[in-house]
Amino acid sequence: MIVPMARVRILGPRTELAAAVRAVQDVGLLHLVPPASQPLLEEFLPTSEERRRARALERALAEVEGALAALGLADAAGAAVAAPTAADFARWTRLAHRVRREAVSLGEQIARAEEEQALLAKYHDTFAAFERLLRRDGPADAAVFHLVLRADQAEAKAALEAGLRQLVGPAFESFSQRLPSGETAMLILVPRTTGERVERLLAETRVQEAPVPTGYGPTLAAALPRMREREGTLPRELAALRRRRDGLARPHAAELSRARATLRDRLAQVEAIAQSAVTPRAFVLEGWVPAAGLPTLGDALERGFGGAVVMEILRREAWRAEDAPVVLRNPRLFRPFEIITRALPLPRYGTIDPTPYVATFFPMFFGLILGDVGYGAVLGLAALVLHRRTAPGSTLRSVAEVGGACALFAIIFGFLFGEAFGDLGRRWLGLRPLWLDRESAIVPFLALTLSLGLVHILLGVVLGALSRIRSDPRQAAGRGLSAVMLALIAVAILAALEVLPKALLSPAVIALLVAFPVLVVLEGLVAPIELLSTVGHVLSYARIMALGTASVMLAVVANRLAGAFGSVVIGVLFALLFHTVNFALALFTPTIHALRLHYVEFFGTFYSAGGVRYRPLGHWTPQAGQTA
Amino acid sequence: MTFALLALSAALAIGIPALATAWAQSRIGPAAAASLAERPELSATVIILVAIPETMVILGFVVAVLIVLRGGAA
Repeated sequence: MIVPMARVRILGPRTELAAAVRAVQDVGLLHLVPPASQPLLEEFLPTSEERRRARALERALAEVEGALAALGLADAAGAAVAAPTAADFARWTRLAHRVRREAVSLGEQIARAEEEQALLAKYHDTFAAFERLLRRDGPADAAVFHLVLRADQAEAKAALEAGLRQLVGPAFESFSQRLPSGETAMLILVPRTTGERVERLLAETRVQEAPVPTGYGPTLAAALPRMREREGTLPRELAALRRRRDGLARPHAAELSRARATLRDRLAQVEAIAQSAVTPRAFVLEGWVPAAGLPTLGDALERGFGGAVVMEILRREAWRAEDAPVVLRNPRLFRPFEIITRALPLPRYGTIDPTPYVATFFPMFFGLILGDVGYGAVLGLAALVLHRRTAPGSTLRSVAEVGGACALFAIIFGFLFGEAFGDLGRRWLGLRPLWLDRESAIVPFLALTLSLGLVHILLGVVLGALSRIRSDPRQAAGRGLSAVMLALIAVAILAALEVLPKALLSPAVIALLVAFPVLVVLEGLVAPIELLSTVGHVLSYARIMALGTASVMLAVVANRLAGAFGSVVIGVLFALLFHTVNFALALFTPTIHALRLHYVEFFGTFYSAGGVRYRPLGHWTPQAGQTA
Repeated sequence: MTFALLALSAALAIGIPALATAWAQSRIGPAAAASLAERPELSATVIILVAIPETMVILGFVVAVLIVLRGGAA
């Protein structure tokens, strides 16, 4: 259900405005809105001094958050300081500036060291091979090439040597060594005068020259000892840098977290004050409070100001309900299904929260489509595991609970349809349909799903009428009449098919003919088209039958095909594979289609999206942002 | 001959709407994926948009089943 809200107006002397906002923030229940315009009431305009202070607070917050982020403490929690002074703000800004500068510098040094360590680790084997190759003596005036041949360039070595022979004759030396990665390190020594031609040859044969990392020396021979040395010293250097960063974080984390919470709260107060309206001597704050929270807010103001600041509840006629923020609150059993409602924009205040209806029909539709004891049990097990591994209140916990309800309905309908992994339950366990055999009773199953669709849509149309009674009685009457006409159409069809006594056909048709012009008068010429589309929505529920039949047929096919194999092992493996695929489909398909039946067919008859999210002025926390 | 015609009718009753649904979803799918990349909060709307054309093939399936069952009974 949508929690009833009350619109309140808080009035007091202008000198108490900041204190009143602080008191409201402590309670954490008031969702502020700009006050309705009244004579003598003006928008609050901050002075230049107040604007300067707000800008200083923003700058301080940016410094503090920057420092916390640089220390890797973005999620650190800390309670706001009750009465911060100007000296506190100045100290926090200085501290944050210093800590941020040091933390950023340390962070950059750590990043550079980690990068260097990663680079050395990457080329460790390659350069170790070159180290061994470079120990060989070569002529002093030789040009040296260090090459790395990829694993797929095995032929390139022979081609390169043949090319060198052609280019410089026998005046070259080449050494190679295979690396653990499959690559080959190769060292080539040629007379310095032929260096340029060899370079061209390397380019033609597309052989990559090993890059000498910068900063270690002009040549690989000079760089390798220094790289070895760095490999040894880097872990110690990194550990020392990390210790310094931790040492920087430890003494300041608590204070910076407190500073952030205080600054956030103070800025929220500044924003709240900007939403007030004032006269030369008084202030007015307006907003929404859950009706149950009115005494709490009233008592807090009374305690804090002893009657100097008062709260009045605005009469319903004085405000438009559409502006009220929306809070959904449902019984524990229905609450997990709010994730389905919340996937759409919130319902508007004063309309209907569909969560209880979703909680009733969604698992039922899912169960009707899946309708299998075996698949239901597997789904239940998966939901149980997910439930155990997730935190209360998390989205995944809700998914697990919705999955559990769907599994329960799948098992119930599985018994009613006599299905466990398709027809395996019948053949092995002697399971018999208690109600319908979906393999053969296709038309009765279709009739069942269409009847369910009619009930669901009728419920939606009635809810649509109820939600409009207050705001638009004429439209509400039209919706009510649509519901009656829908029922009459169903009666007429059933009487025509002789499911109901044929004598009902004429009265139902006459009643429809009478209701038709009344509907046009009430809702306009669009109403008959809407009624026809509503009938179409009922037919859409045939998908439950179509998908349910397809689901059972797939399971039966899995069992039959498994039996068709000569080998028992292959048959069982095939059946397992087919049932796994069918189970995956059986999770996905009913979910999507049950969602669609709700979002398109059911919600389309009554749901009014566009509700405002409830954001009360409260104290800041890292998890929830600005809240109570 | 009658059975063959019934089977053909049932096949057309489901086949043509299936093609129509596939065509409609092939147009909606890429647009939906592009929208989701920019605004993930539209997932529910996207489900609705992608699932809407499926009504055609579902109703086609129902008609095909009725043709086969009525034909079998005749």
